[in-house]
Amino acid sequence: MKRLRSARLALIPVVAIAVAVAAQGATARSSAGGTLVIDRSFEIKTADPQRAFEPTASIVNRAVFDTLLTYKGADVAHPVPQLAESYTASKDAKTFTFKLKKNVHFADGTPLTSADVVFSFNRLINLKGNPSFLLADVSVAAKGKYGVVLKSKVPNTALPAILANTSLGIVNSKLVKAHGGTDAADADKTDKAEQWFNSGNSVGAGSGPYVLKQYSTTSQLVLQPNAKYWGPNKAKWSSVVVRNMISATQLINIQRGSHEVAIDLASDQAQGIRKNKKLKVSLTPSTWVFWLFANNNKDISQITPNKHFQNAVRYAIDYRSVVGVAGPGAIQAPGIIPNMFLGSLPQKMRINQNGAKAKWELAASAIGSGKITLEFPSDLTINGVPFASMAQKVQANLQSVGFNVELAGAPVGTWLQKYRDGKMAFGLSLWGPDYPDPADYLAFLPGKLVGTRAGWPAGSDPPLEKLGDQALVTTNAKARQKLYQQIQQKLNADGPFFPLIQPTQVFVATTDLKGAVFNPVYQIDVTQVSAK
Amino acid sequence: MSEPLALPRFRRRPRLRLGPAWRQPLAIAGATIAVAWFLIAIFAPLVAPYDPLAQSFTPTQAPSGAHLFGTDELGRDVLSRVIFGARITIPIALLLVGLAAAIGGLLGAVAGYLRGIADGLVMRIADLVFAFPPIILAMVVTAVLGRGLRNAALAIVVVAWPSYARVVRGLVLSVGDAEYVQSARLLGASARRALFRDVLPNIAGPVLVLMTLDLANATLLLSGLSFLGLGAQPPHPEWGSMVATGTQYFQFWWMGTFPGLAIFTAVLAFNFLGDSLRDVFDPQTAWRSEDTQD
Repeated sequence: MKRLRSARLALIPVVAIAVAVAAQGATARSSAGGTLVIDRSFEIKTADPQRAFEPTASIVNRAVFDTLLTYKGADVAHPVPQLAESYTASKDAKTFTFKLKKNVHFADGTPLTSADVVFSFNRLINLKGNPSFLLADVSVAAKGKYGVVLKSKVPNTALPAILANTSLGIVNSKLVKAHGGTDAADADKTDKAEQWFNSGNSVGAGSGPYVLKQYSTTSQLVLQPNAKYWGPNKAKWSSVVVRNMISATQLINIQRGSHEVAIDLASDQAQGIRKNKKLKVSLTPSTWVFWLFANNNKDISQITPNKHFQNAVRYAIDYRSVVGVAGPGAIQAPGIIPNMFLGSLPQKMRINQNGAKAKWELAASAIGSGKITLEFPSDLTINGVPFASMAQKVQANLQSVGFNVELAGAPVGTWLQKYRDGKMAFGLSLWGPDYPDPADYLAFLPGKLVGTRAGWPAGSDPPLEKLGDQALVTTNAKARQKLYQQIQQKLNADGPFFPLIQPTQVFVATTDLKGAVFNPVYQIDVTQVSAK
Repeated sequence: MSEPLALPRFRRRPRLRLGPAWRQPLAIAGATIAVAWFLIAIFAPLVAPYDPLAQSFTPTQAPSGAHLFGTDELGRDVLSRVIFGARITIPIALLLVGLAAAIGGLLGAVAGYLRGIADGLVMRIADLVFAFPPIILAMVVTAVLGRGLRNAALAIVVVAWPSYARVVRGLVLSVGDAEYVQSARLLGASARRALFRDVLPNIAGPVLVLMTLDLANATLLLSGLSFLGLGAQPPHPEWGSMVATGTQYFQFWWMGTFPGLAIFTAVLAFNFLGDSLRDVFDPQTAWRSEDTQD
């Protein structure tokens, strides 16, 4: 019996894939014109908009919650009103006054008022979660029943872009409070609404055209129409299914599917299906940046804070071979800001491999044959690039100049926790923009979100931090560009981050869909997708 | 202390003649493949055309004359990796089957011989382990101990020993009651002597059969754990983890297919070999006792 049992279990991955493929055919057929299927490699941790910070969550939260401003299609340079009727910004970019639409109500019929906006934003701030930094130094106040005033302590030119983020989705304050939610200052300890948000019982939490029907961080997320939707952009699908699929399975599914989207294909996978007439394959530069970091905190590691060690890493990487792992269309990330954003570095300013320099720096670091462990999320594949492959390439690069590198993969949840707690010494990580503005990348500076994770507290590099403060308050586009480039050059010179690549964003949709385009902020806005 | 009497020997002769069982095609095929894998594992550096870790070729080349099994996503030769994979899987499978047999056999013998509380204790623990699906239990053990090959092997030992305990206990119980053992004891032979001289030779065969069959289980389980990312860590060329990477690159079919075939052939060979061994040793003693346990 035992032999049989283990043989059967070994077959499970194969069977699971087969079943998934078969099920795909079934769903498409049984709900003709009714089901939109989105295949996505999951990294979702929660669907609570004020806690969620992962791209998969933004796919569903875009459809469930409305925001004051949003983006249309793929254009992320110009936020357009959604819940806001209009807004004005003060000249110093510190005060933003919004007028809300008056006919909006949540999926349970409750009217949406300024109180809900204030509750949602305060909850976001006070949960002190991953997206809380979006409203750092911003306070929110109601001005009558349909007016909201946002006040920022510093000029905040990125605020309109930030307001389109799904973490700033407006929740139903009455209903959320009834399910244990709070916006009080100690919300991080007292708010108990997350479980409710992560279930099909949360109908009425948002005012978007869809409501969450089924939630799973490992298999699938299902949306169904909001029966009481207020606006003109009504739900076009009786069901939207976001499924957790590895890219290889996505490749098979999309070729057999109808009303289907695949988000995580690799560029070399896309090469094989570009001639398929049933599919629309688009290749756009990805906004993801993959990078390495070496923790600056001496309590975490004796080796990684060493400047010579960090420089040795910087020059040991064979960037061309690393780009090669990501396939055609990928580029080396010249700095931490992706190439399509204001303030990104031109390619000629990228770091080039320099073996001799790397060897000299490694010798100067005096770490000898000290072993260093590179940690990476072993089950994560972004834009078709498995982190395990990336990590092995980096390891080979580092070993070729004499590093003693060991790899340690962990499931993405475990890895993420350690990384976010700032306890990881040497890691392979990634950053996707929360809003399409270079101000988002100030998180990499000392004392800021990512800087802290890399053991880089405020005050570690005063000149760099001063540049960051200056960038935050500068409104002139040219001046901003110059400042952000200076910041990245300084980061490239002696920061603890080593930008590697920007992979290719492949987005494949069946041609029977209208409005299915890749959006760097939401991945895909399902509310804008309909059947042809 | 001298022995009071010369003991008459009622012990049956072990049958190790190359009988008709070995002339079965399956037995020949199994033995050939298994021997081939052992040789490949031993002489891997001589057989493999390239360094299994060297990322020195154009990535994702289809199989060709230069790279019979193609190259993987990092430009490593898949054939060399499959060959070196044998060096990880086969020795570890042998080692952990040996360990499991030693631990399980000892506990089973103690249980069967002493009976009473010791028997109850050992067998209930064995039942407890049996109650879990092996891969789930192995996953729990690696999750607790941490990832890596060593912990995966330990996990499999934890999962595998009870079947030996059961078989050995059953055999010790039935052989221990046999007349020739009883009479030896009556003639004054010590318990130890009875166990080692009279009982052990009679259970060696069935245990050997079980070990061979378990070699297949261990190979599968080890590859399974590596497939899930709990066993061998990259960049080690382990078959299971190579298959896992291959699933990320379906369009480059050779990346997952060849290591998959390696697992397939090795497991099949061990199974054939085990079945043939079972036919060689008396099938009645080998399987009757286990069947009565279930």
